[in-house]
Amino acid sequence: MRQVSEQEVLRVDGARKSFRTPESGVVTPLDGITLSIRNNEFLTLLGPSGCGKTTLLKTIAGFEELDEGEIFLEGRAMSAVPAHRRPFNTVFQNYALFPHMTVAGNVGYGLQVAGVKRAEETARVTDVLRLVGLSGLERRKPAQLSGGQQQRVALARALINRPRVLLLDESLSALDRKLRQSMQIELKNLQNTVGITFIFVTHDQEEALTMSDRIAVMDKGRILQLGTPAEIYDTPKNRFVAGFIGTSNIFSGTLAKDGGTSRVDIEGGPAIAVTADGFASGDKVDVMLRPEHFALASGRTGAGGSLDAVIENIVFVGTDLHLHGRLANGLPVVALERHARGAGALSLAPGQTVTLHYQATAPHLMKSQAA
Amino acid sequence: MAERSTISSQRRKALFVLLTPITLLLGAFFLIPLGIMVVYSFLEPGLYGGVVWSFYPYNYGRIFGWPLGGGEEFEPLYIQIILNSLYYAALTVIVTLVVCYPVAFWVSRMGPLAKNIVLFAITLPFFANLLVRIYAWLLLLRPTGAVNTALLSLGIIDQPLNMIFTEFAVIVGLVYVLTPFMFLPIYASVERLDWSLVQASQDLGATPFQTFRRVILPLTAPGIAGGCVIVFIPALGNFIVPSFLGGSKVQMTGNVIERQFLQARNWPFGSTLAMIVMASVLLLVLAYTLWMRRAANNERLAGAGHV
Repeated sequence: MRQVSEQEVLRVDGARKSFRTPESGVVTPLDGITLSIRNNEFLTLLGPSGCGKTTLLKTIAGFEELDEGEIFLEGRAMSAVPAHRRPFNTVFQNYALFPHMTVAGNVGYGLQVAGVKRAEETARVTDVLRLVGLSGLERRKPAQLSGGQQQRVALARALINRPRVLLLDESLSALDRKLRQSMQIELKNLQNTVGITFIFVTHDQEEALTMSDRIAVMDKGRILQLGTPAEIYDTPKNRFVAGFIGTSNIFSGTLAKDGGTSRVDIEGGPAIAVTADGFASGDKVDVMLRPEHFALASGRTGAGGSLDAVIENIVFVGTDLHLHGRLANGLPVVALERHARGAGALSLAPGQTVTLHYQATAPHLMKSQAA
Repeated sequence: MAERSTISSQRRKALFVLLTPITLLLGAFFLIPLGIMVVYSFLEPGLYGGVVWSFYPYNYGRIFGWPLGGGEEFEPLYIQIILNSLYYAALTVIVTLVVCYPVAFWVSRMGPLAKNIVLFAITLPFFANLLVRIYAWLLLLRPTGAVNTALLSLGIIDQPLNMIFTEFAVIVGLVYVLTPFMFLPIYASVERLDWSLVQASQDLGATPFQTFRRVILPLTAPGIAGGCVIVFIPALGNFIVPSFLGGSKVQMTGNVIERQFLQARNWPFGSTLAMIVMASVLLLVLAYTLWMRRAANNERLAGAGHV
């Protein structure tokens, strides 16, 4: 099995880049990014389009230059090294397979240009095609392959050079959902087998959560939060991260500490009981409650609180019911209930008022971004 | 099924109606004259122009070595002129290719406004009459012309260069006239080139030269081939450029054919020369078509396997 070590492979240090748009505005896709990438980890750069994640990947690959800052591979500065001499390989968003070459030609390309002997090339192409499950398709042209097969060719082509770091640029986004999910699992398995550092760019939070060792959430050229998927999901640093990852209810309010208990007074609405270490009474805060933190049944253990809401919509998604409602002050709220058949089935209808219970540990406090 | 066949039969009808005018036009103004030329090339020239209706293989004989004799000699000069023409046409292809290929990359990376301006500039010469444009080259290249005057006044040369009525002038003229025909197909293929493939090649460790040879060149080859064919054909048959800029010293088959028809009034011999030019063009187009069909077959094969 793969070991993620603490040892640093790649370091992005104070990366800054901006350019002018045709409308004479200035865009800053990289606004001072510092990032340390560990050996053998699967790091995801996650953010909305235009957040700078693809630019960061391209500067690592060497297709774009930094205005400021430096990229170090095991301590060696990379800015003077052209793309074709960097020991990184990329799986492009559109796969960028050479249409005039066969699968074997595409996969063997990196070895051919490096002057590897024919026999060794053939052997390694066979090996890597077996690894990605494409044995027997050596003589096909890219146009003869399905989307998933094309992606695996792109992956095989990038892996065969045994790069120190593999860069994946939204590489799964072109696939349909089913195929994407199976490729996600295959990618993880592959990483366990070959032991390479992966840097994966995506705007799909679900993909990021399922595949990553660590996620860097980016917005406007900055890294907002870097952490494990669980850290990012459970304890987002601010409203943006909380809103980008998963579904969340975020309420703005003022923290009030009263002896041993704390609560957040939501403007024009109810108060939410919280545990508030590290915050002072009177702080402007955002409170996050995930939909799954709510329960209709009140009988759960421990202290907590509840919110009354009027149900507006019930969305059935198979395993769960998503309840979309509104609090008394008009704020929207989403709760999630497990779907059950028969006796346990919920009899809910829009217009009904329900009480949403949560445990005291569930609400997560974040510093208000406005403050 | 019935519905489908109705649709397809309707479609066939529509196709027939649409294709009829061009078929008639080409038949009347292209195939019939061509047929006349083929027939004439095997007829005996009349004494005062026109033809005598008897089989006469000696038109070809004058060129390839079985002349009738008695005034009509085997004249190796014709083969020499045809070879020269092939050489000028080939040289024109090479020069236009070398000029256009890098420029196409440069233009394809321009902003949309600059790109449109450049593309407009490239088609601009078509708005002026060809003769006027060729005549301009006469003014530029002659001993007292603009080029010589400029070079003399800069002190680069101390006596006028002899440029007009040379091979050089003819090549310059042909290149000038035919550059747009090379540029446009090459530009189309360069514009279609997916730059992420170039990045992929770099990413996999290929040097710039390897990327060019293994990715860029093969993917733009159809444009190059197309440009070469449509420059070579008019270059080979051109007679305006050599007659203006080549004077009496530089001759191409086009000039000889023109003279046979208009001055010597020997239509059969003019037709024969034209047939030979056409045969060499056809061979070239055949080679090109076969090559393209092989490429298309590869594509089709690629499409067929996609389930």
